[in-house]
Amino acid sequence: MKKIVVDHLKYKYPLGEELALQDISFQIEEGEFIGIIGKNSSGKSTLCQALVGLVPHFYKGAYGGKVIVDGLEVKTHTIAEISLKVGMVFQNPFTQVTGSKMTVYEEIAFGLENIGLPREEMRRRIHEVLKLMKIEHVKDRSPFDLSGGQMQRMAIASIIAMKPDVLVLDEPTSQLDPAGSEEVFQAIQDLSGQGITVIMAEHKMEKVAQYCNRVLLLHEGKLVDFAAPEKIFSRNDLETYGVAAPVYTRVCKALGMKKQGCDSYPVTLKDAELALRGSLG
Amino acid sequence: MIKVSNLSFSYTGGGVPVLSDINLEFDQRTTAIIGQNGAGKTTFVKLLKGLLKATYGEILIGEYDVKMRTAAELARKIGLVFQNPNDQIFKRTVLDETMFGLLNIKMGRYTAEKLAVEALELVGLDDKLSMNPHDLSLSEKKLLCIASVVAMDTDIVIFDEPTIAQDHAGKEIIRRIIQKLKEKNKLVLTIIHDMDFVAENFDRTIVFNEGKVLLDGSTREVFSQKDVLEEANVEPPGITQLANRLGLKNTILTVDEFLHECAK
Amino acid sequence: MKSISLFVERESFVHGIDPITKLYYILFAIIIPIILPSFTISAICLGTSIILLIFAKVMRKTLPVYSFVFFVLITVVIIQGLFKPGNETVLLQLGPVAMYKEGLQFALTIVFRVTNIVSAFMILVLTTKPSDLVEALVRKGMSPRIGYVIVSVFQIIPEMMTTMSTIMDAQRSRGMETEGKLLVRIKAFIPLLGPVVLGSLINTKERAMALEVRGFNSRNPKTYLNEEKTYPNSRFIQAVMLVLTVCAVAWRMFL
Repeated sequence: MKKIVVDHLKYKYPLGEELALQDISFQIEEGEFIGIIGKNSSGKSTLCQALVGLVPHFYKGAYGGKVIVDGLEVKTHTIAEISLKVGMVFQNPFTQVTGSKMTVYEEIAFGLENIGLPREEMRRRIHEVLKLMKIEHVKDRSPFDLSGGQMQRMAIASIIAMKPDVLVLDEPTSQLDPAGSEEVFQAIQDLSGQGITVIMAEHKMEKVAQYCNRVLLLHEGKLVDFAAPEKIFSRNDLETYGVAAPVYTRVCKALGMKKQGCDSYPVTLKDAELALRGSLG
Repeated sequence: MIKVSNLSFSYTGGGVPVLSDINLEFDQRTTAIIGQNGAGKTTFVKLLKGLLKATYGEILIGEYDVKMRTAAELARKIGLVFQNPNDQIFKRTVLDETMFGLLNIKMGRYTAEKLAVEALELVGLDDKLSMNPHDLSLSEKKLLCIASVVAMDTDIVIFDEPTIAQDHAGKEIIRRIIQKLKEKNKLVLTIIHDMDFVAENFDRTIVFNEGKVLLDGSTREVFSQKDVLEEANVEPPGITQLANRLGLKNTILTVDEFLHECAK
Repeated sequence: MKSISLFVERESFVHGIDPITKLYYILFAIIIPIILPSFTISAICLGTSIILLIFAKVMRKTLPVYSFVFFVLITVVIIQGLFKPGNETVLLQLGPVAMYKEGLQFALTIVFRVTNIVSAFMILVLTTKPSDLVEALVRKGMSPRIGYVIVSVFQIIPEMMTTMSTIMDAQRSRGMETEGKLLVRIKAFIPLLGPVVLGSLINTKERAMALEVRGFNSRNPKTYLNEEKTYPNSRFIQAVMLVLTVCAVAWRMFL
C-alpha cells in the first residue's frame, strides 16, 4: 500500500525568493526506511516539514501540488489531525522539550492530553514507549536533566506515543555524541522493525547506507534520484551534489570492486569486507 | 607551547572532579581531543582559556601562568571558537563582527580591518563584508566565527566541534583552514566527534575518559589500540575498521593509504 | 537543570490544600484588613499566615523574602516616622531628629499589611507546584495556551541563563573585559543581548513547531494525565472564609 504520495510538490517560503521545493514527486510504501540526503539548504528540512504539514500550515507561503499521507491530504487538514498519522522529531533535543512538564513521564503525556486520550490509555501507551525507547529508568527525572541521547529518545517516545504510522526525523543525531547517536539510531531501527514507516534526513552517509532501504537525493530543492543506497552512492556525479559516498563505497569504487551479484558498489562495512576479501589477502 | 601539570578541576569545591590529575604538553602538532560527552573535554579547553580556574595544578601558556590572567588578557595568546555560532554573533556586519576581537585587544582600526579582511579571505567570506551576519547560512555563520577568532592571530587556536551540522563542502573548508593554520605554525586543538575527520587531519590525538587522559599519541598509534578505545566508547574511523577486518597489518587512516596498501 | 520555581516539596496539610483555595486565601488575607482596618485584625491575619507557613515546614525558605521585604519597609518606617504630615507626639528624640508616634503607627499598619499579603502569597508559591496551579486554572476554564506560557517560563528562564553564560564566555574569549568597574560590566552587557534575544527567538520558533506536531492546537477536548486532585476540606475552608468575610462586613456596618 502506498503510505505517502507526493505529487508535483512546489513550495516557496513567504520571504524566500526562490522555490525551496521544485516539483517533487515520489511515493513511499508502508514499512520502508527512507533516507533523505543532500547538502545544507538543499531542501531536506523543508521536505520533512511538508510531510507533517508544518509546510504550509506553520509557515504559510506559496504551495502547489499534493502531499497525501495515509489517504489524508496535508493541505486540507490541520497539523493536529496530521500528527495522528505522521510524527516528527527535530534536530535539537532541547527545543523539543515543552518546558511545561516536571517529569519525563508527564512530558510524554503532553501530546496525548492534547488529543484527548482517556487516562488509562495514556498510562498504557506511556509505559509502552518508555520501555521501547529504553528510558524507563529516568521517567521521574526532569526532562532537562537528561543526556542528549536520552533527551532525543524522550522526544521520539513523545511522538511514538501518539501512535503515528509514519515517523519523520530531521537529522536526529546531528547534535549528539557518538554514543548518544548510536542509542538513537538503535531506537529508530527498532521502530522500523515494528513496521513503522521511517523517513530520515541525515548527513552521516555511513548510517544512511546501513539503515535505509531507499535513499532520496535532493539538490537545490529538486529531486535528483530516489533509489537503493547502492545505486545512489555508486553515482559518478555524487560530488556535484555536495555529497560524499560512505568511505567503504569510495574505497571499493577506487579499486573497482562491485558488490557481489549486482552492478553497484558496496555501501556498508560488511558488504565492503565481503567484496574485498576475495581480491585481497 | 602549553604545559599542563597536575591539573584537577571540580565545579563545586569538594565535589566529584570533572578532571583529575591531567599532565600534558602541547607542541605545534595539530591535536584532536576525543571522548564521550561528559569526559571533561570542554572543561579542559575552558581551563586553558582561563574561562574557568583550576582547582589544583598549573597551566603555563608560553611564559604566562593562566591562573594570573583574565580570560580577556589571554585572548591575545589563545583563541577559542565556540560550538554554536549564534552564541557569539552580535554585530551588524560581517566585517564588524570579525573586527570585534581585534579592537578589544586594542588594535588600531586600520590594522584591525586589514587582519579581519585577511581572515575572511581565508574562510571565503571576503565577498560578504557588509552583509548582516544573520542573513548567512548556519555553516557560513560558523565560518564567520572561525574568522573572527583566527583574525586575532593567536599562537593557539581551539575549535569546539567545528564539523557539527556541516555538510561535505563545509567540512572541506574547515579542513583547509586547519591546514593553513598549521602552515603558519599555529597550534590547532580541536574537540571533535567525527573520527573520519580526525584520522584525515590531525597529527596527534588525545582520548579523554571520565576526566582522565586515556590515550595520547600520534593519531595512528591511538587508533591502533582498538581495545582501549572501546573502553572510552570510541569507534575507530570506518576505513580503519575495514582495513582491520581485512587483516591489513598497518593501521590505515585514509582512503589513499588504503589504496596504497592494496597496490603493494 | 534548576527551575526558578520556589516550590518546596514537603508533606504537610498545607501542601494538600488545593491551589484554588489558596488563591481565595490570598484574596481573603487582603480583603479582611481592608474591611476591618484595625491593628489587631491585621496581626491576627498575619499570625494565621505565619502559623500556616510553619505547619507547611517552609519557614526557612521565607526568610530571604521576608528580609528583602523588611529592608524596603524599614525605609517606609523611617520616612513616615520622621516626616508624616500630622506628626505631633514625639516618641523619641535624637538630637535634632524626632520620631513621631502618629507616623510610626501609620507605618506599622503598612508594614503589617504588606507582610500579610506577602505571607499569603508565599503560602501559595511555596506549597504549590506551578504546574498544579496552572492545571487547576485550566480546568476552571483558563486557556491552555496561557497556561502553557505561564508554566514554561518557570523552566525556560533557567535554560536561558545557561545560554547567557555561554555567550558571556564566547565574548570573553574574544578579549572582552567583563571583570572590573561598573562601566566595564555595563559595556560588557551589550554584546550579550543580541545573541540572547536571537537565540530565544530561534528556540521559540523551533519549540512552537515541536508543540504543533504534538497536537497543541488539536480541537479535541483536552484530557489530563493526572487525576484532578480532590481536596476534601477545600469546600469547608472556602465556606469558612466566606462566612468570616460576611461577618467582617456585618461587623463593619453594624457595630
